[in-house]
Amino acid sequence: MISALASRHDLAAGLIVTQIAAPAATLLGLGLPALVGRAPSEQATTRAVAAGFGLAFVAALVSLAVGAARGFPVEVVHLGTLFSVGHHTATIELVADGLSIPYVCFSTGLCSLVNAFAGRYLHREPGFTRFFILLALFGFGMNLLVLAGSIDVLFAGWECVGISSTLLIGFFHERRTAVAAALRAFITYRICDMGLLAAGVVIHHAVGSGDFGRVFAGAWPAATCLVPAATAVPAALLLVFAALGKSAQVPFSGWLPRAMEGPTPSSAIFYGALSIHAGAYLLLRCGPLLDAAPAAGWLLVAIGLGTAIHAAVVGSVQTDLKGMLAYASMTQAGLILAEIGLGWRVVPLVHVISHAILRSLQILRSPSALHDRHELSAALGGPPGQGESPLVRLLPAGLQATLYRIALDRGFEDAWVGRFLVAPVVASLEAAAEFERRLVARLGGSQDVANEWHRDRGAA
Amino acid sequence: MNPLAAEPILDALTSHRLLAAAAAVATFAPLAGIAGAQLAGARLNPRLPAGWSLATSLAAALTLAWTWRSGPGHEVLLGPRLAGGSLVHLDGLTAILLPLVAIVALAITLVAPRRAATVGGATRLLAGASLTAAFMTTSHPAALVLLWVASLVPTWLSTRATPGGRPTARVYALMMGAGSVLFAVGVGLMAVDPPWADHAGPAGAAGGWMVTVAVMIRKGIVPFHSWYPAVFTAAPMSAALAATMPQVASYAAVRLLVGHADGVRAELVVLSQAALITAAYGAALAVVQRDVRGLVGTLALSQSAMVLAGLSGGLPMELCGALAVWVSSGLSLTGIGLVAWALESRAGALALDSPQGRFTDAPTLAAFFLLFGLASLGFPGTLSFVADDLIVAGSLGDQPHVGLLVIVATVFSGIAVVRGWFRIFGGPSTPDAPRHQILRRERLPLSLLLAVLFGLGLWPGPFVQSLEQVATSLLGPSRNAPAHSVPGDHP
Repeated sequence: MISALASRHDLAAGLIVTQIAAPAATLLGLGLPALVGRAPSEQATTRAVAAGFGLAFVAALVSLAVGAARGFPVEVVHLGTLFSVGHHTATIELVADGLSIPYVCFSTGLCSLVNAFAGRYLHREPGFTRFFILLALFGFGMNLLVLAGSIDVLFAGWECVGISSTLLIGFFHERRTAVAAALRAFITYRICDMGLLAAGVVIHHAVGSGDFGRVFAGAWPAATCLVPAATAVPAALLLVFAALGKSAQVPFSGWLPRAMEGPTPSSAIFYGALSIHAGAYLLLRCGPLLDAAPAAGWLLVAIGLGTAIHAAVVGSVQTDLKGMLAYASMTQAGLILAEIGLGWRVVPLVHVISHAILRSLQILRSPSALHDRHELSAALGGPPGQGESPLVRLLPAGLQATLYRIALDRGFEDAWVGRFLVAPVVASLEAAAEFERRLVARLGGSQDVANEWHRDRGAA
Repeated sequence: MNPLAAEPILDALTSHRLLAAAAAVATFAPLAGIAGAQLAGARLNPRLPAGWSLATSLAAALTLAWTWRSGPGHEVLLGPRLAGGSLVHLDGLTAILLPLVAIVALAITLVAPRRAATVGGATRLLAGASLTAAFMTTSHPAALVLLWVASLVPTWLSTRATPGGRPTARVYALMMGAGSVLFAVGVGLMAVDPPWADHAGPAGAAGGWMVTVAVMIRKGIVPFHSWYPAVFTAAPMSAALAATMPQVASYAAVRLLVGHADGVRAELVVLSQAALITAAYGAALAVVQRDVRGLVGTLALSQSAMVLAGLSGGLPMELCGALAVWVSSGLSLTGIGLVAWALESRAGALALDSPQGRFTDAPTLAAFFLLFGLASLGFPGTLSFVADDLIVAGSLGDQPHVGLLVIVATVFSGIAVVRGWFRIFGGPSTPDAPRHQILRRERLPLSLLLAVLFGLGLWPGPFVQSLEQVATSLLGPSRNAPAHSVPGDHP
């Protein structure tokens, strides 16, 4: 009996480790040769990525089948101890349960499909190998995030997703707009990452560990929170803050439409499917904390619904297809977060998976939109209708004009964030940096720097 | 004597002699490199003798580290002693820092552009490496003062010799002169009236504060920080990196303050809080830098302050984290600085006001810059992730604000590094820009530095165990235990 249980656990552990190790091996297999100037050919690259994601996908499918047959028991896989100092031990734990197994199945499946699409789409593109290295990094990070058994491991996956997303937005590095969009996305991610890091600190402080097994009790979705109520509120609020950035919620949503500067395959998998829902996954995983902190749940509902309305209004005036799809993603991400805030768990999971599949398909098809439209027109014998929403016609003309103006300016979100958050911080830092330069110039007896500063100010 | 009983003593003596010999080779090998460079003159590329001497120094330092780790793990004290210090003081801290000094100097020597590889430049670098290594093998007050002052000279000379560098050299001389006077007087007062003694008087307390301020000046801790990024802007990159990455002042703080924490508690509190503010402030300044040298300088300012913040925390785990940041920031910022230097040697000064479009020119250098940047900002899988985790976890009990300020510093550093990367490598490339791929002498040291950073990040167990041993011996009861001496030393 015991040996049967042990062998079952070994099987589950082997499958889970494969889902992490396969993309990791792909990443190393492509990255190291590229770093020493021996980048593999296009064919070898796509085959390596297909093998890595394919293996992970098969392992995930088997895990799903085994898990479904056994009612998704919680399987914790202890991969080892990273280091240990005094009473502090950093362990690497993965967890397979009713949340992580379906999610990793769909994420590795989507990665495999996008790899197949991108191999043709990016044929002979400069940076072909770079794209697939970043895709492998993303796949590895996403699987780590999903299968994480502790907040520390989840953070590691979270960071891999963030940096690969940033670098893929700036993939076409010769375009200034792509570079600016990538930097904007990274700054948003990084600011919101403070929430996840601080939440990790708070949780460690409260229960002495970041392992989910010690933070929550029971199996998802019925798990309960072991963090004391007084600590659960700040921890939940910090996690909500972290999720807002990755899921592009108001007031951190400005990066998402700009992120479409990246290649279409990465836009599909990042901003239509997986990266945009990383925040939702984080909150689903840490759902018991939200249950213990109703204020954080209601805040999430308000922000989610607000973002959904904002994105629906702004998205309706977009003149490019990828921009429109970005706002459509934002709308659904807002609704999903609102569902999580309401205390639902299975509904948002289903919503995430269904939305991700639909949206990534739409984004992958977007380069062929004109072709599709021509075919549709030919089939209909004329151009298809514009499809204006009947709801819009119910609004008074004055309100329609006002909404149109607001939508054109993206709800003034960027302007307000720039004016009230970014500009004061940047101005203060630049003033401090100038002060430092002038101080050194004065101390060194050189007037050059001070004169230059005055000249710049005069010119400004 | 029973031969079986004598065997462990003989083993210990052998290992202590090996430690002393390795320390001597690590310290003096660069001087042989100076002799080689001077003798060869213009007939030989000075990179060659400098490189070989530093490779010898690195091999000796690694031998010392290996011997210390596999040996009994006691301190080795040799030569004259004064006020608890010894002329030669070899312990776990030395075993960690000597390889760092050697590898930083070796990487600088190999990556230095051809026009910077002069006899004078090599001499100053090797002299600085030798003096820094000597500083890190002693705890004798007089030796510390002498080497503190002497190790400042190569940087000052290099800055002064750089076109347009005289104003910064004056600032450097002003700050370091004040710091040196405070250090000398402070160490003297502490030697005469140790503040950790049972009946410590006001002289020792004043000495403790003077040493604290001297450490703050040399480390560039707020409000004495302005010279630090300026040196990166005005001095050759080699001089700036060699002067700042080994962190001489942190070593002095460990030997004179952290090692006697009971007597200088208030000084350590001031030091750690000021260092924390510096870590966050330096990282924030890095976000708005206009050129790559300013970026490297402000990042170094922030990271080196984080070392002191952890060192002064007073808990073994924080101390472990600080030692890990010491190594990780030293290696990663050396890497970033060297990549920036290699790019400058190809394309001139690199502004960060707008995208410079250098990716097409140097894609491999772009990859190295990014990887070193990630390795400096606590990215998972790198040593800095382990270091930040240790500092934050160590501070949770009594100073949770430390963890939060470290997070703020890490966030700003991350934004600064990625902004720098996109501004240097992003944007339209110039059609007639030089197309210089990475050179083999650049790729080798940069790969070595990266391998150490990622290797220790992915498999940190043994390294962290060594750090814990060092931290415990610095803070724990073993500090007061009699050190193991070998025959021939002079108590």
